Amino acid sequence: MQNHPSNLTHVRQLSDDMINRIAAGEVIERPASVVKELVENAIDAGATRIDVTTAGGGTTLIRVVDDGFGMTRPDLALAIERHCTSKLTDEALLAIETLGFRGEALPSIGSVARLSIATRHASEPHGWELSVEGGIKSAPRPAALTLGTRIEVRDLFFATPARLKFLRGERAETTAIADVIKRLAMARPDIRFQISGSDRGTTTYTSIAGPDAHLVRIAQILGEDFAENAVPLDFERDGIRLTGFAGLPTFHRAAATHQFFSVNGRPVRDKLLLGALRGAYMDVMASDRHSVVVIDIALPPEEVDVNVHPTKADVRFREPQTVRGLIVSGIRAALSATGHRASTTGGRATLAALRPGWQPAPAYPAPAQASLPRVHSGQTMGIGGSRAPEIPRPASWDWQAMGPAAPAANGFAEGETGQDSPVHHANEPPSAPTLDASFLSHPLGTARAQLHENYIVSQTEDGMILVDAHAAHERLTYERLKRQRAETGVARQMLLIPEIVELTADEAGALLAAADDLASAGLVIESFGGQAIAVREVPVLLGKFDIARLVRDIADDLTDQGISNRVETRINRVLSTVACHGSVRTGRRLTLPEMDALLREMEVTPNSGQCNHGRPTWVELKLADIERLFGRS
Amino acid sequence: MKVTVERAHLLKALNHVHRIVERRNTIPILSNVLLRAEGDDLRLKATDLDIDVAERVPAVISEPGATTVPAHMLYDIVRKLPDGSQVELATRPDGATIDLRSGRSKFSLQMLPESDFPDITAGVFTHKFDILASDLKRLVDRTQFAISTEETRYYLNGIYFHTVEVGGDLRFRAVATDGHRLAQAEFIAPHGAEGMPGVIVPRKTVGEIQKLVEDPEAQVTVELSDSKIRLSFGEVVLTSKLIDGTFPDYGRVIPQGNDKDLIVDRSEFAAAVDRVSTISSERGRAVKLTVGDGRLTLSVTNPDSGSATEELGVEYESEPLDIGFNSRYLLEIAGQLETDTAIFRLADPGSPTLIQDRGRDNALYVLMPMRV
Ligand SMILES: Nc1ncnc2c1ncn2[C@@H]1O[C@H](COP(=O)(O)OP(=O)(O)OP(=O)(O)O)[C@@H](O)[C@H]1O
Ligand SMILES: [Mg+2]
Repeated sequence: MQNHPSNLTHVRQLSDDMINRIAAGEVIERPASVVKELVENAIDAGATRIDVTTAGGGTTLIRVVDDGFGMTRPDLALAIERHCTSKLTDEALLAIETLGFRGEALPSIGSVARLSIATRHASEPHGWELSVEGGIKSAPRPAALTLGTRIEVRDLFFATPARLKFLRGERAETTAIADVIKRLAMARPDIRFQISGSDRGTTTYTSIAGPDAHLVRIAQILGEDFAENAVPLDFERDGIRLTGFAGLPTFHRAAATHQFFSVNGRPVRDKLLLGALRGAYMDVMASDRHSVVVIDIALPPEEVDVNVHPTKADVRFREPQTVRGLIVSGIRAALSATGHRASTTGGRATLAALRPGWQPAPAYPAPAQASLPRVHSGQTMGIGGSRAPEIPRPASWDWQAMGPAAPAANGFAEGETGQDSPVHHANEPPSAPTLDASFLSHPLGTARAQLHENYIVSQTEDGMILVDAHAAHERLTYERLKRQRAETGVARQMLLIPEIVELTADEAGALLAAADDLASAGLVIESFGGQAIAVREVPVLLGKFDIARLVRDIADDLTDQGISNRVETRINRVLSTVACHGSVRTGRRLTLPEMDALLREMEVTPNSGQCNHGRPTWVELKLADIERLFGRS
Repeated sequence: MKVTVERAHLLKALNHVHRIVERRNTIPILSNVLLRAEGDDLRLKATDLDIDVAERVPAVISEPGATTVPAHMLYDIVRKLPDGSQVELATRPDGATIDLRSGRSKFSLQMLPESDFPDITAGVFTHKFDILASDLKRLVDRTQFAISTEETRYYLNGIYFHTVEVGGDLRFRAVATDGHRLAQAEFIAPHGAEGMPGVIVPRKTVGEIQKLVEDPEAQVTVELSDSKIRLSFGEVVLTSKLIDGTFPDYGRVIPQGNDKDLIVDRSEFAAAVDRVSTISSERGRAVKLTVGDGRLTLSVTNPDSGSATEELGVEYESEPLDIGFNSRYLLEIAGQLETDTAIFRLADPGSPTLIQDRGRDNALYVLMPMRV
């Protein structure tokens, strides 16, 4: 071994190469990190097209070619020196506007791989090229090149074989690289990205201009499904602007890989943001499902510190509460504005199941030609932010009052809402002449029949709708209980014997910092020495429960995500149970007026498009789709 | 073993012991009742490993011995035998079967060896005293409702029995709390209770004690050690493990300085609370008490269904006050009070309230308000 005790007595300056390798350990974790650094550099260089080629999951080769402004000969020589950057002046660390700013990426890569750079700047008569292998730099030599930069990284980690062993295999690395490009491409629809190589097929994101550019790029990356099942976001508060698209609660995934966040155009995966997202969808999606979103947060650069993590994945906001609040309330507001809307994929999938010879669409569509996503008719998908017209709630329609004993004052021809025979109407043939066509133009149409003592079939102007009556009514009841709770506040039982919960000082601190939020959710805590907190009041709705455990879970959430919705989640869970018991059961037959009332109520109730577990409460089949089923289109 | 007993005697004993046998057991022998024929008695015994109940009944023994048989099965059989019949129990030489005969009925039941039957009753009991069954029952009845069912604070899952000095008298006191309310009841400590350890008697045992008190005038012998309690109700002996934990210093949560006395007619108050809370739907909806100037207004608001108020004439001379309580808790406490007139000692809407029978200090209840 080298480190004989006598060597340790001397403090030595580390060699440059050693410093670079240590830095590389942090900056370059895997091939995808190299791709990220190189593509970011190309974006910073003002490129309009960036081509990435890989082989062997990036360990054999990564090549990034851009048409940016390139480097002059002296700049090229400097670029591979540590802490040499053209992007940051001394004053500017507080207001970083480029993706790179440390001058660390190229030297780090050069210390762990064979790096060669060829570049041409407009002011140079020809291009220059140089290489770095395991930290040893060659002198620049002339190269034939048009404007731009080509960087090749071969044999990644050849200089640090230990790192190679930790890689997850070619496939995983190949996917990780694709993911990095998706994240970068998402923020920059104006740039054309292409990725190809011996280890993958070719994917191209063509460059897009115009007001809908962002949405088109999203469709390129996430598929057109998303565009049809998302609502636009555009909210601003205290100089922070939130834009992008939030997937409908019924459009969910098993993994969180479809959540794209960027802060001032810089892709990030920050715990605070992910936590806030969970909070926003908390009560419309099962906890093991993940939403699909594309969100950019724009704020003055000095309001955010991007220099907190070697790979720049985390950021630190000066006002984290504001950012979190904006995400939670922005998404919730956008989702509730969609009211009854559920995902179209339910109806699509049904259709697909019926259609003979149907093949699932490829999971990763790579449209060669960008096209505007189809706007789902009658829905609120608004590229320009258009909204379905507000549907006034007919005064005489009160679903809640529509029990079998309700007076038949609904202006219906056949009057009797059926004290004794609520079954009659449901059994009438769909062509019964008494049907009122006036609801046809409503989004959920006019009820025609109930099938299997649960499903309502309703007719719209251009299709039909199937409603899961039990799930829908459960959701309506739940929303009503929630609304009431919001109006009346959370009743709290004070504790005769406060519960003392022992924690770490950090956890106690995090809880106390969130004390106001917790109190409005019904949990009142106070400090009990540095390491413990005392719980003084608890939400009455939760009955008697394991207080210490809840508090510890909240502390975990707060320390890892900066946010916790546990108290609300539990209260809402109790409400859901209440809702479930108070709802129309499968098996109860509804009269047509009752069915129509339910549809109208759904149209005006926020979040009624999905049940409490994120399943849709209704699906739609378009007439065109039905006709296609019969080969008539 | 061969023994003959009166059906009535056997049934009564089985009725006492079979209750603690769990319906489902992973250890088969715990489903059984131990039968031991010895001298002039048949002894029966059952356990769930926390509680042991034993009883002896007079019997004619032609062959002493012991065995175990399924408790619920035996109980059901004996229950269905005709009144006044005799029951003969005889083990077969194969050691695996017992025959039960009564009149023309005959049953054969599988047995398990008596040597496998667990005994949790061993140990040295350091304190022993007698109390009147009705006194014991009163302590248990008054406090049992406040026992916590929440298992993390296991030390609250029972009644805390201990002695305290009050104005020169030594009292035998029972306390239970679930962290929302507290109940305390006591009487003058019997001779022999001096210096007894404070013990927490688990909820299931408390339930058995209530059922085993049949004759209120009888004496119950209490024996204690640090980890067990034994209560002898005549021929029935219950031994139970105690909860191994420290009961909180409850004295600190009993308010001393509450000076606003509200005096109500107990049954009128309870009926009014019950009526107004009809409106509430979610569990534990608050009832608001507005007091001032000789009047108490109870009100409940439920945004879902409406509201209710009721006014009662009361004695109250302090300044007006609004305070909210869980209506169920109020009703439960009102149900514990023993006299016609209840006194609420209030401080403010954020502090514990003390509730007692007027003119009696042998029981008290503390209730924490709700915030709405
Ligand atoms: N594709 C490129 N086109 C033009 N200049 C480039 C390109 N790549 C790198 N450079 C120049 O090389 C410098 C060093 O790049 P490097 O990635 O090491 O650091 P950085 O981007 O400044 O900061 P960071 O370490 O945060 O990425 C950059 O500041 C830039 O001037
Ligand atoms: Mg860089």
